[in-house]
Amino acid sequence: MQVIISNQSKEPIYRQIYAQIKKQILTNELKPGESLPSMRQLAKDLNISVITTKRAYEELENDGFIYSIVGKGSFVCEQNNEMILERKMKVIEEQLLSAIQNSKEVGIELEELKELLTLLYKEDT
Amino acid sequence: MMENVIELQHVYKAFKGFELKDLSISVKKGFVTGFIGGNGAGKSTTIKLIMNLLKPDSGTISIFGMDYKKNEKEIKQRIGFVFDSNIFYENITLAEMKKIIKPAYRKWDDTLFNQYIDMFELPLKKNLKTFSKGMKMKASLTIALSHHAELIIMDEPTSGLDPIIRSELLNILHNLMQNGERTILFSTHITTDLDRIADYITFIHNGQHIFTKEYYKIEEEFAIVKGGTNLLDRDTEQEFIGIHKTNHGFRALTANKQRTKNIFGDTVIIEKPTLEDIMLYTKKGEERC
Amino acid sequence: MLNLIRKDMILQKKTLPFMLLFLFVYLFVNVSTSWVAIVFCIVIIMNAFQTDETSSANLLLNSLPYTRKEIVSSKYIGALIFIFLTLLTIFIGNWMIHREIMQWEILLFITSIVMGLISFAFPFSYLFNSKYLLIGFGGVFVVYMVTLSFIPNLNDRVRELVQTVLSLDNSLFYLGIILSVGLLYVLSWILSIRIYSRKVF
Repeated sequence: MQVIISNQSKEPIYRQIYAQIKKQILTNELKPGESLPSMRQLAKDLNISVITTKRAYEELENDGFIYSIVGKGSFVCEQNNEMILERKMKVIEEQLLSAIQNSKEVGIELEELKELLTLLYKEDT
Repeated sequence: MMENVIELQHVYKAFKGFELKDLSISVKKGFVTGFIGGNGAGKSTTIKLIMNLLKPDSGTISIFGMDYKKNEKEIKQRIGFVFDSNIFYENITLAEMKKIIKPAYRKWDDTLFNQYIDMFELPLKKNLKTFSKGMKMKASLTIALSHHAELIIMDEPTSGLDPIIRSELLNILHNLMQNGERTILFSTHITTDLDRIADYITFIHNGQHIFTKEYYKIEEEFAIVKGGTNLLDRDTEQEFIGIHKTNHGFRALTANKQRTKNIFGDTVIIEKPTLEDIMLYTKKGEERC
Repeated sequence: MLNLIRKDMILQKKTLPFMLLFLFVYLFVNVSTSWVAIVFCIVIIMNAFQTDETSSANLLLNSLPYTRKEIVSSKYIGALIFIFLTLLTIFIGNWMIHREIMQWEILLFITSIVMGLISFAFPFSYLFNSKYLLIGFGGVFVVYMVTLSFIPNLNDRVRELVQTVLSLDNSLFYLGIILSVGLLYVLSWILSIRIYSRKVF
């Protein structure tokens, strides 16, 4: 498992860890059932405090990416791809909705918004 | 179900010209707590109270859930300590020092002791007087770690040490924390040492407990705000703990990042604070009042 | 607590044999045995006391799993051991050099004087600092030497006085001395624990 953290980043360190592990789970680099390093080991390896890795693991667990067994450690959850997709879609929907609302407030037309979306989408990749 | 290894409740202690006021602090088991505060804030006094080198005028102190009045020896059996000054006898060797201290502890472990001696490359047969500051700290740490202490209390262990030794020390502390049974209380004014190791930060100022927080919460709650002085008025100034104004703008510390963001929006720059910022602006804020 | 006494022995390791040897040699120079013994006892005991008087030593001892009561008690018991060692050396020395068995009355006399002095010196030093004590002792010594130059036979007179006291053939009298010195020592011990418990490091 690769985790690279930046101290300069605006993003809190536990968010960085969370995002990187999550990405590796979603891309199947970390296989279901695979064990993660203990949070104390990871803290030591990354040279950060235990509470930071603890927070990252807790959030991963809350969001259903990993599970922990007391005394044994943390493992990658069996991923239900459909569920993940569904969950993601819902988030995207919400975000788009708020974008639409904002657009309406200032009178941006649908065409204009679509153009913007296309532009941003291409830019990001 | 988090257990507190150290618990101070409403502790009051007065000296000539200095007092600790109603100090209530707890230190959680299995974590590293960084203890910060300026010179004369009461860090050393608090540590001495925790070690029973001082007795509080009022309030209670409990260590491992026990009380010094009844269980002094039992408590101290389980504590390892490192002070900023050398507290060993100067005219003897480290081997002799070990001979003196070893019988005091039930769980003394010679193998462990020798491991640290090897790791730190400390001479056993040389007079302690000839040790450099870094060597003295390492010797102190070796003794503190050789009896399987559950609580390690360090008063300014890194002061006056070079970055390499400080980094070595932090690595050792990381190793110690692996089994989750150990607790470390670490006072320092070199706050950058804490970035890498501290789980909780306890901040005291002028004998008063300002806060104890998870390290990451500090970044979430506190922020350094920079902007033009025209943004400041009596109301907006209330948002800040301390403000530093110049002809070119202001820099201030807020304890409520989100609210400050809502108030000022994009008119200000918001940055991550360092522990030093927090110490500095708390002092500034007080001067203003 | 025995560890604490052993600690004093380790710390005195370099000076103690040297001191005892010096004492042994001193016996050749036929001065008053009692006088020499008393001075040596006090010097050794106060030397051990002083090593633990610095704030760093207090910090160390009180951070180790010892109670303040034990720290003080170790000094009182240690003092008795140092007295015993000194007397043993003198006893053996006297026997080897002068082929004479020392009178037990003299041993009792030395022990009583040393214990009496310690009974004052320890609480005083816990309360203030032993360095003032040494200044005091030094002063007394100087005064004594000066008086000696005015009254040349002062030493003899003191010796005479001691002899008269020792020749008092009254076991009740000795018992009284033992009891009162013992009582003084114990009271001083309790007082020292009281003082030391309230100390701030």
